[in-house]
Amino acid sequence: MSLVTPDSGLLFWMVIIFGLLFFLLAKFGFPIITSMVEKRDSAIGKSLKDAKEVEARMSALVEEHSKMVEEARKEQSAIMKEAIEAKKALVEQAKVEAREEADKILADARIRIAAEKESALRDVRREVALLSVSIAEKILRKDLSSEEAGAEFISKMIDEAAKTSDKLS
Amino acid sequence: MKRLLLILLAFLVGFLPSSAQPQEGEASADIDIPSVIFSHIGDSYEWHITDIGEKSIAIHLPVILYSKTSGWHIFSSKKMEEGQYGDFVFNEDGKIVEMVDGAQVRPFDISITKNVFSLMLSSLLILIIFLLCARWYKHHDVLSESPTGIAALMEPLVMMVHNMAKENIGEDYRRYSPYLCTAFFFILFNNFIGIIPFFPGGANLTGNIAITMVLALCTFFTVNLTGTKHYYKEMLNPDVPVFLKPIMPVIEVFSALMKPVSLTIRLFANMLAGHIMILSMVCIIFVMAKMGPAIFGPMSVVSVLFGLFLDLLECLVAFIQAYVFTMLSSIYIGIAREKG
Amino acid sequence: MISMFLLQTVASAALGKAFAGIGAAIAALAAAIGIGKIGQATMESIARQPESAGNLRSSMIVAAGMVEGAALFAIIVCLLAVVIK
Repeated sequence: MSLVTPDSGLLFWMVIIFGLLFFLLAKFGFPIITSMVEKRDSAIGKSLKDAKEVEARMSALVEEHSKMVEEARKEQSAIMKEAIEAKKALVEQAKVEAREEADKILADARIRIAAEKESALRDVRREVALLSVSIAEKILRKDLSSEEAGAEFISKMIDEAAKTSDKLS
Repeated sequence: MKRLLLILLAFLVGFLPSSAQPQEGEASADIDIPSVIFSHIGDSYEWHITDIGEKSIAIHLPVILYSKTSGWHIFSSKKMEEGQYGDFVFNEDGKIVEMVDGAQVRPFDISITKNVFSLMLSSLLILIIFLLCARWYKHHDVLSESPTGIAALMEPLVMMVHNMAKENIGEDYRRYSPYLCTAFFFILFNNFIGIIPFFPGGANLTGNIAITMVLALCTFFTVNLTGTKHYYKEMLNPDVPVFLKPIMPVIEVFSALMKPVSLTIRLFANMLAGHIMILSMVCIIFVMAKMGPAIFGPMSVVSVLFGLFLDLLECLVAFIQAYVFTMLSSIYIGIAREKG
Repeated sequence: MISMFLLQTVASAALGKAFAGIGAAIAALAAAIGIGKIGQATMESIARQPESAGNLRSSMIVAAGMVEGAALFAIIVCLLAVVIK
């Protein structure tokens, strides 16, 4: 029975010694250890969190940067395309304008040519009229002469008329 | 395969003494196994270290008595060697009683017995170790260097108990963590010191019901004196149908009382059983010595190996029992600190 | 004949010690079965969900401690029965 009955002397000493031990350790021992380790753990946790935040921000920045580069490149190619197309359009337009100009010039030239032709024809008609008048005069001066002398005479008169008109023109 | 052969060889080495002839009268002394075992696991007024021949070497510890009739008596237990000193004799349990008018009266006995002395030594050891640990943390910046020395050894264990308190108790765990750490390391250190066979170890401290009872009562008072209203309401006035209302409080109160009892008995019985088994294994050698050399040799090898295995098992059980005691205490405290 | 034998044994303290031995064996048997069941459940759970092995291991040790406590109750009683004169 002595095995399972607590001895009062031992109880007394155990209470005193365990109480003293607990008091001393709870004041000077464990709280210091655990508070320091908790401080270290929280510092580690905070620095880990900060590192993660920084990494997240960095990756966001890198993403942004790459996106911006992408956009810049896209814009560049767009601008290039635009430029090329503008150039083409300009060239086309220039061509069209040139063609128009050429057409206009041609038209002008045609008109002038027509005008010149008209004037030339008028001149020629005048000449022909003069010539015919002079031929008629010559023919009329000689209208009583004979026929074959008349033909020879006419041709001589035409030659003279032509010579006169040559001298006139 | 080689290892197996080595073990078999060690076993057969035990047969070497079989060439010796047993002498007459040498093996006639009967070993009183129960008394040997109980003297090792029990308490005594002196610390018996060893026997050299006929002389026994022991540390005689002071006996401090207060009897109602003759006042305070403080003397060394050496004076009780003959079995009697003045009015004081040993009773059948080995405790000192005073003969008052022919009747044995047990005085108020607060002697420094073997257990008390071992308790003082182990508490001093725990105090020194943890105050040194705390000193390291005070003198070094914990953010820039990792601990060295004893602080490095104790920190994971302290944090294990601390985190156990945090997850079981909840918000105000910092109030209870020092008690849990103290209880854990007290039990752990005393368990380990009890496994050491020579002085200053070897006193069966946690296998003594007074020690474990005080620890369990500490937990009991911590749980019940700091319980929240919710805890008491759940215990005494739970939300159950009407026909259960009279018996539920009875069951709950009974279970609340049984918790410290189970804590006590669990720790006490585990440690006691471990010590008894190891002592029995060693005593087998002495019993076998009587039975002749042929059995003595191999059985001593077997006994040593088995004893080694039991010692290692004891180390494991020492840690597990400290862990289970602390975990259960933290769980009970956590239940008591539940709010709504 | 049998009654005489029984009376004799009942009178002696040896009967108490014999039954104490049997009681201790039954207590050990009960502890082994209890802890075996706990181990079985834990191992199946760990096989089902290996990442919770740490939690399950601690719970297993706590439950085993409590089962052992109950068995050791019986051991202590048997020990007392053997030891008391």
